[in-house]
Amino acid sequence: MGARGRRPQLRLPPDEGELTVRALVIDDSRVMRLIIAGILEDLGYEVRQAGHGREGLDVLDGGWIPDLVCVDWNMPVMDGLQFVSAARSNPAWRSLTIMMVTSESEHGQIVRALAAGAHEYVIKPFTADAIRGKLALLGLLPEEVVL
Amino acid sequence: MTAFAGCPGDTGAGRRAGDAPPVITDLIDEETVQSIAEEAWSALVGEDELLVPLPGGSPEDALSAWVEIVGPWTGTVVLTCARSTAEELSGCLLRNHAPRVLDREDIEDALGELANVVGGNVKAVLPGPCVLGLPEVGSAPEAPLPADVCRVDLLWRGQSLTISVQGAAGALPDPYENNQNEVPL
Repeated sequence: MGARGRRPQLRLPPDEGELTVRALVIDDSRVMRLIIAGILEDLGYEVRQAGHGREGLDVLDGGWIPDLVCVDWNMPVMDGLQFVSAARSNPAWRSLTIMMVTSESEHGQIVRALAAGAHEYVIKPFTADAIRGKLALLGLLPEEVVL
Repeated sequence: MTAFAGCPGDTGAGRRAGDAPPVITDLIDEETVQSIAEEAWSALVGEDELLVPLPGGSPEDALSAWVEIVGPWTGTVVLTCARSTAEELSGCLLRNHAPRVLDREDIEDALGELANVVGGNVKAVLPGPCVLGLPEVGSAPEAPLPADVCRVDLLWRGQSLTISVQGAAGALPDPYENNQNEVPL
């Protein structure tokens, strides 16, 4: 699967003086959000969470633009594919790197997600190492973390 | 993951419209279901967590989570264990990210997510196209047709855990359907 990798736009928080990378985790399962957010926070990410695609768009509309979005596929209100399409239709959000994290594992579904504008695809169940590996491919692994 | 003949890549296009829908035991076997569960456990619950293929009996305070699959085969993938087992599983899933107190919603959510992961991977080996539903949690839905069930009884840390891939009511044709216009002798 071809990752359209690029370096993250590292931000400099005014208070802490450290480089941070932001991630938005969108999943209707709170437990799964906590698992993914935990992995990313351990890597140094600043993470926000949303329970479905519409909530995810609300976060973006509010001006909090992450470097990475991890989005589930099957969710109520707005599913992951709809979120990807909506996010890609807004030029202001072109810099977002989108990674689908889902139990939808058929080749056709992966192709649909990538065609809609997702950069990477992680199939549940995943390990923390699998997430770190995908982030390395995307150039979104904070440099102080060694694989 | 255990492969089985005929299913991956089977679009169902070769079957005629009038053909009876398949039963689950024609599409997937216990070894494949167990293999899917083991993969989910290893990745999400813990690398060294084992699922032992032994029946542990029905827990008194059973909790079930399931996802529906709709396609050439329609039914549900049901995960059932004791509530205390579900609580322990939730803690393992969250590890050091667990909140200080796991509430009921978190426990049910965790079991639902495990059912979702197992169900999603079961769906991947069934003939497609299929649609996966959202996880539901509660009392296990009944399996209306014993012939359309693939059930795996497991032990996790000595506690009973059952995974049942079971057809939905009405998914198989009424065996008397074609006889309704027969003239009685």
